[in-house]
Amino acid sequence: MDYFIDLVIIGLSIGMVYALVALGISLIFSGLDIVHFAHGEIYMIGAFIGLMLFRHLGIGYVPTLLLAVVLTGIVGVLIERLFYRRLTRAGGGYTVAGMGMIIAGFGMSIVLQNVAYLIWGPKALPFPVPYGRPVEIGNLALPMSYVWIIATALILMFVLNLLLKKTMIGLAIRAVAHNKDIAYLSGVNVPLMISLIFGIGCALGAAAGVLIGPINYVQVLMGISVLIKAFAAAVVGGFGSLPGAVLGGLLVGVIESLGAGYVSGTYKDTYAFVLLIFVLMVKPSGILGVEAKVKA
Amino acid sequence: MLLKNNYHQYVVNVIAINVILAVGLNIVKGFAGQVTVGHIALAAIGAYTSAVVSTKLGLPFWAALPTAMLVTGLAGAIVGIPSFRLEGAYLALATLGLAESVRIVISGTESLGGAIGYENIPPPFIGSMALDAHRSYYYVVMPLALLGIYFSFSILSSDIGRAFKALREDPLAAAASGVNVRKYKIIAFVLSALYAGCAGSLKAHMAPGFLNPNDYTIIEMVTLLLMVVFGGIGHIWGGVIGAVLVTIINDLTQDYYQYRMAIFGSVIVLTVMFMPRGIGGMIDHHLVRRRFKAIREAKSRAT
Repeated sequence: MDYFIDLVIIGLSIGMVYALVALGISLIFSGLDIVHFAHGEIYMIGAFIGLMLFRHLGIGYVPTLLLAVVLTGIVGVLIERLFYRRLTRAGGGYTVAGMGMIIAGFGMSIVLQNVAYLIWGPKALPFPVPYGRPVEIGNLALPMSYVWIIATALILMFVLNLLLKKTMIGLAIRAVAHNKDIAYLSGVNVPLMISLIFGIGCALGAAAGVLIGPINYVQVLMGISVLIKAFAAAVVGGFGSLPGAVLGGLLVGVIESLGAGYVSGTYKDTYAFVLLIFVLMVKPSGILGVEAKVKA
Repeated sequence: MLLKNNYHQYVVNVIAINVILAVGLNIVKGFAGQVTVGHIALAAIGAYTSAVVSTKLGLPFWAALPTAMLVTGLAGAIVGIPSFRLEGAYLALATLGLAESVRIVISGTESLGGAIGYENIPPPFIGSMALDAHRSYYYVVMPLALLGIYFSFSILSSDIGRAFKALREDPLAAAASGVNVRKYKIIAFVLSALYAGCAGSLKAHMAPGFLNPNDYTIIEMVTLLLMVVFGGIGHIWGGVIGAVLVTIINDLTQDYYQYRMAIFGSVIVLTVMFMPRGIGGMIDHHLVRRRFKAIREAKSRAT
């Protein structure tokens, strides 16, 4: 029983990381109507930026996290402005994408991966954060890193929720996500909001990267598997639905952890795909998806 | 052959195999407009089927190749089933997941050589003569590549090709005009899978007869995408040109691996941004312009 609870806790904390990446993907999907296939690399670059800040500036973990999130958000805005904007605008409004955007996303992911390789090299770097002693609950010893991940992710989700629901910017973002033409007519600065949405999406990915850094190593190839798991999470929860992304992330994390614990660790990375394909076949709109936006 | 160097001969064979792959991908992606990212996994299935059939069952290459194509065709049908309900990015997701799963399962399975690779795949034999040199293997690969291009043209000009194009432009309108959408989607996936299986099998039996699951990662998929995108999506000769160019560049820049992939990625992004129809599209554009110019001149001369 203890083993089971351990696995669930590990699954939940990894699931929180997937949920953050999935939130970014979902936010970008609902705001820009594109599926961003380079998001795994944004997560990787966020982790590297965090590691560099932590090592060279000598600041604490929390300032590192915040700074890395902001910097990666800026990187995301630049990528969107320089490359994706031309594609998303090609269809007239800010919605087109289709095959071109998918292919461009793959190209961008390879570019980012290799740029990171040129800067930081092929080695897996440790992210040594002094967490302190594990928390003991009953006879379970809970490592502090997991507590950190779950707490930080919950705080970030709470802040995102406040931003989207309680502020004017959040209102504008939701208007853009709902209908860009009407948002234009109501005086929303749609191009700016699109950049902002993409930046926030990338920032969430970076937060996930910085959070997972201390558990796993930080390395160039860490993006692809997280990308697919986050996609699985987003699809399971319902693409474009933010609560769905969180739910899906937790579900993927727990299933993967239980599968690795009870079935086989070798095929650990495939459980999320199996879940993804199952949900895509049975209910493409996902658990919480209101309507399936089929044409991305 | 003009090429004296054994290594050059090897590169030519790789080009031919990549041409088969690219032409096959063009069928499902370019003609039928289905966004699949799992093509490289189909090639892996073809390669491993061919390898297993020829080593464990002892079948000759000439039987292993059709078997591999058959199995890959079946796998292609399975990959195609999600396309009934999914479009665009969703389909890309599903196929990406399938592709990565195939690779992970192969590298986790001991009997397939695991992550180390599958060794000792026999070369094709004619009578007692082994085609194990790159030069002799050329006479197996090149005819198949030419045949593949020829079939691709025949498909495009047949009623199946027209149905594909209708499907690509608008599935709803195609269904309304009497195209059986599901049937033709499956046909597109199976046809392109047959190409992938053929290419995979050819790769497996080429000297030194060695397969590694790491030859079927997302990087190889992006390289394959680059061939088709840069050459021109939905343009057969464009795909061929893309395959030839990318393979040669790939080979020349062997020593600058990381720069190469960064440049390949940028070329994909920039091609989609500024030249969405690729080289093939540009050639077409040029040819059409020349035809119009000729017609205009002929008219002005007549009047």
